[in-house]
Amino acid sequence: MAIDEPMAENPHLLLVDDERSIREPLAKYLEKQGFRVTQAGDAGAARTRLAAYAIDLVVLDIMMPGEDGLSLTRHIRETSDLPVILLTARSEETDRIVGLEMGADDYVVKPFSPRELAARIKVVLRRAASGNRQVAPESGSFGFAGWVLKTGERALVDREGVSVPLSTGEYNLLLALVQRPRQVLTRDQLLDLTQGREAGAFDRAIDNQVSRLRKKIEADARNPELIKTVWGGGYTLAAEVTRL
Amino acid sequence: MRRPSLWPRSLAGQMALLVAIALFVAQAINFGLLLRERSQLRFEQIVTPTVTRLVDAADRINSGGTADTGHGHVRLVPANPIAADRIRRGSVEKAIAQSLSQAGLATDAVIASVRPIASDDWPPSRYGRRRAARLSHFRSILDVAVHMPGRGWLVLRAFWPNSDPFLIWRLIAQTLILYAVVLIPVLWIGRRISRPLKSLADAAHRFAPGDDHEPLAETGPPDVREVTAAFNALRLRVIAMLDEKDRMLGAIGHDLRTPLAALRVRIESVDDDTDRARMADIIDEMNRTLDDILSLARLGRPSEPPVDVDLSALVDAVVEDFRDLDHDVTFEDGQRLPIRLRPALMRRAVRNLIENAVKYGESATVRIEPEPSRVRIVISDNGPGIPSDRLTDVFDPFTRLETSRNRETGGIGLGLALARAIVNDAGGIIRLENRTGGGLDAIIELPR
Repeated sequence: MAIDEPMAENPHLLLVDDERSIREPLAKYLEKQGFRVTQAGDAGAARTRLAAYAIDLVVLDIMMPGEDGLSLTRHIRETSDLPVILLTARSEETDRIVGLEMGADDYVVKPFSPRELAARIKVVLRRAASGNRQVAPESGSFGFAGWVLKTGERALVDREGVSVPLSTGEYNLLLALVQRPRQVLTRDQLLDLTQGREAGAFDRAIDNQVSRLRKKIEADARNPELIKTVWGGGYTLAAEVTRL
Repeated sequence: MRRPSLWPRSLAGQMALLVAIALFVAQAINFGLLLRERSQLRFEQIVTPTVTRLVDAADRINSGGTADTGHGHVRLVPANPIAADRIRRGSVEKAIAQSLSQAGLATDAVIASVRPIASDDWPPSRYGRRRAARLSHFRSILDVAVHMPGRGWLVLRAFWPNSDPFLIWRLIAQTLILYAVVLIPVLWIGRRISRPLKSLADAAHRFAPGDDHEPLAETGPPDVREVTAAFNALRLRVIAMLDEKDRMLGAIGHDLRTPLAALRVRIESVDDDTDRARMADIIDEMNRTLDDILSLARLGRPSEPPVDVDLSALVDAVVEDFRDLDHDVTFEDGQRLPIRLRPALMRRAVRNLIENAVKYGESATVRIEPEPSRVRIVISDNGPGIPSDRLTDVFDPFTRLETSRNRETGGIGLGLALARAIVNDAGGIIRLENRTGGGLDAIIELPR
């Protein structure tokens, strides 16, 4: 499929949303951003378009009458590796988690900024092209050094079963680390892996978040055993990670 | 009104006490009547034969015979044989005198007195000594002397029954048996009524929309069953109404969110950056309010289970999210503080309070004050504070304060209402306090 080939000059998106009032202006905006956009008003139309065109990425509304976005995600995953970004409402939190577990690559919450969506699309496409793609990035739980990171609930649970809440930044950083244990991750890589979740300047952000995470999970934050600093490189998670 | 502490609080206890008091009064009246009847009976049994014998003796004397018929019971003596210091029975004397005058016997003095049986009252041959001793428990001797003018004194002895010494004990035993017979069923009935009422009251107190308890078992007498059934039906109606409300709010939320999302996409074509940013802010604000409405509506039926959470880390995570957005929020990380609550909701409550502090007070300082039985999260700002008479009003949804606080946004909205609902749901309390010296403290107090 398309993702194995070199990225086309203008990536071809399939935009699936039953709401014309969102779909049409959004398609127009994304076209202005340099994407080729094909629209579909329901899951059936989306299936036809998927068969007819070489689509690079699907932007998919979860809540649609008839066959919903989750079912379509499952269909796409069964037949291809096509990247999927979900459009969700905040109240559809469980649907979102299910969608991510089914293999959607990312999501944005309505009402979203079209710029943010465009940025996410670019990140997902870049990862897909570089083969650095996280399949089901948020599914399941990770166990390491007595800790459990539950991705569904975005919670870190300690040995005694007490949940230790993390800020959004800390969570994204820890998730990036546990997904690549014993790999050295540079600050730039970490920025890339955690970016898009929030706005803001990131000069020292990674270092700050690492030191905050150390305070929470290390026995002695001055002599870190889990998140180690690599000279001239970045950070690495020095622990066995098991998928739970 | 405070009742004396002896007054039982339970229905069964009150019923039992009332019945016991009523029984006691009834028994006392019975007892009085019984005593009266007994003395009347005694009177008739003794006075009537005594008078007959006296009249017979007088007749015999008047017709020239002797007073005695040979049994030695009635004698005619010249002087009054009853010692003057003996206690006289006025009522007996009066009754005898009256009966005598009705029988036409003239007399000017009747003396009656009761004494214990003496050994010489009867010859031993007639009553054995032992029998006489036993008899003396129940009987005494009534001495009667009647003065017949010109002839002397007619003297007579008769048995006089003692008042029954066991009567009071018999009465007590009788009362106790009555108590046992009546009070046990009363207590049983009382409990049969009060037990379902108690579980009804408990169920009503416990009732929180969202938990799907079994309907209350209908037990007890039919009236009580009916009350329970009515409560169960009421509960179902309340749950149905709340479901309906949630469904409606969900529909409203969805229907408003879609045009909002469409608007958010469309404003991207606005060329003026400032204008566009302002529009995006307004849409965000509307969306947050929408979120708050939906959260508040759903709070009674939370989908998130309570878990053990490190409260210190929870507050720290919220604060960090604000710092990531370049807000001036400080938090002194404290010790680990595991506490059982719904983390996502509590994050929301803390976030709403910090958001207010940042919005109106420019900056926020957050600290945690742990105590043995509870823990306080204090969020302090340096804003203008709130007039002290409005400190509780602001927790009501969409309260407006006619001060500088609401100039820009038009109201505090739902943030505080939602925070209060979340904290109350966790069993805690939330309040605002103006600090002396300026600034506002928002305080969440949770049980540990």
